[in-house]
Amino acid sequence: MKRIPLFLGLLAMLAAACGGGAGSDRVVLQNKGSDTLVNVAQAWAEKYKEVNPNLAVAVTGGGSGTGISALINGTVDIANASRKLKAKELEQAKANGVEPKEFIVGYDALAVFLHPSNPIETLTIAQLADIYGENGTAENWDALGIDFEGCKSGEIIRVSRQNNSGTYVYFKDAVLGKTGEYKLGSRDMHGSKDVVDLVAKTPCAIGYSGLAYATHEVKMAAIAMEAGSPPVMPSVESASDGSYPIARPLLMYTAGEPTGAVKEYLDWILSDEGQRLIVEKGYAPVRALQN
Amino acid sequence: MFEATSLNRRNRQKEGLVRYLFLLMTLLLILPVLIILGVLVAKGGPVLSMDFLFTYPTDGMTAGGIFPALVGTVWLVTVALLFSVPIGVAAAIYLSEYAPDNWLTRLINLAIINLAGVPSIVHALFGLGAFVMFFGFGTSILAASLTLAIMTLPVVIVSTRESLQAVPMAFREACWNMGATRWQTIRHVVLPNSISGILTGVILEVSRTAGETAPIMFTGAAFFLPFLPQGIFDQTMAMSLHLFVVSTQVPGVPEHLPYGVALVLILMVLTMNATSIAFRMYLRNKKKW
Repeated sequence: MKRIPLFLGLLAMLAAACGGGAGSDRVVLQNKGSDTLVNVAQAWAEKYKEVNPNLAVAVTGGGSGTGISALINGTVDIANASRKLKAKELEQAKANGVEPKEFIVGYDALAVFLHPSNPIETLTIAQLADIYGENGTAENWDALGIDFEGCKSGEIIRVSRQNNSGTYVYFKDAVLGKTGEYKLGSRDMHGSKDVVDLVAKTPCAIGYSGLAYATHEVKMAAIAMEAGSPPVMPSVESASDGSYPIARPLLMYTAGEPTGAVKEYLDWILSDEGQRLIVEKGYAPVRALQN
Repeated sequence: MFEATSLNRRNRQKEGLVRYLFLLMTLLLILPVLIILGVLVAKGGPVLSMDFLFTYPTDGMTAGGIFPALVGTVWLVTVALLFSVPIGVAAAIYLSEYAPDNWLTRLINLAIINLAGVPSIVHALFGLGAFVMFFGFGTSILAASLTLAIMTLPVVIVSTRESLQAVPMAFREACWNMGATRWQTIRHVVLPNSISGILTGVILEVSRTAGETAPIMFTGAAFFLPFLPQGIFDQTMAMSLHLFVVSTQVPGVPEHLPYGVALVLILMVLTMNATSIAFRMYLRNKKKW
């Protein structure tokens, strides 16, 4: 039949394509989860290839929830999360015979983004709760006592995240409190980058995302814990020393105490070399680094 | 001598108007294609180089090449074809050459049409449930390619069946009258005469398979892999997902990079199409009717 030569051709292409790969003694680690961490995880995986060529790390995003359920189902070696495991998830893991072990691999300041034309410089946690929270009353920018000419409708356009995002959960816990809920009617974006992009082109908007996603096209508000306390700008320094009110730990979870290749990889991530990469990506390291 | 009446003139005017209106519509149709290609070539063209094609992404995917994604897409398309072409062609041969016209055949035809209309994200979730979890293939090339194969089966079946039915009935009857069996007829008369049409279906399938993102996102494609897949149980990077990732997920990607990825993806599909079209024309020239 005439189809056969075509198939042989394709097979030959395939064979040629995989000729250049690594040796067969390669170990593959599955690393999945948080979209906040995915770019750092990628940078680690890319760099680690030079450290240990026989250990390959496959990185997938999808959100903290995705990574944690994969850990519970036993399909990943390391789950990335930008929030802590929930009690319910811990129960599920234990029911599946998985004992999650937590590692703090860095810190992330959650920046509040505004359009550059927005006159606001500082916001308090209470004001944020008023904007985002279920019981909050701030619907228009003048409720915050400002005169915002750039925003014609005067309405606050709230930009948020999809609900399996660790950023979404952490912002809720830190700003709205453990029992707080978001106000309905926000624009829920599928990634941190989308939040920043939308705020950059919408004068009336306010959004939140990891500091690493900040661009020059948006403005960041300094955040004060309460009305009287000093407002702090989000930065790598203020996230590490704890002075910035909404900074969160970035986590990696393994199933049980890590051994072998997983342990080597995590040890390297926590070493000065691994931690320097996280700083390059705009996150805060777990401890002060020597230069 | 013939004089054009006013009716003749009006009709002629109308004729011209309609003709140019339809021409305009046709031109409007190809305009987006030209614009897309133009923008991609203008913005992505400068990054194209052998290095771009054959090196790994570097600096957190903001620089370097697309080699693992390119190889991954070749893997995904090839493995998907290995499943969908034999199954699709066999099903089409049955439906066109053997199946009696009864309720079962009509039901099958209905199912094929419906399968073609299922959104790709639904196929993705089906693939996740069936291949990744139930059959335990994990997130792998095998699971992703099977999902793609199922999604593109209707294209192969419908186009193959149509090209089989385009072979004149007289050819088959002549063959049967010589005492040939049905299979001998199919093998030596029907298939050789319809191979060009079958290839058209395969071309369409290749293009669609290479470009799909949703079905592979959950079933086999990774955000980043520092190695090339070694077999069908490995995960892989893919051009379509890589394009999605560099344009929406990674901060600080230089503007030309996503355009470069898109341009390579389009060129890949066009090259595959052109090869198959050339092959098809060669086969068609040998056609005797």
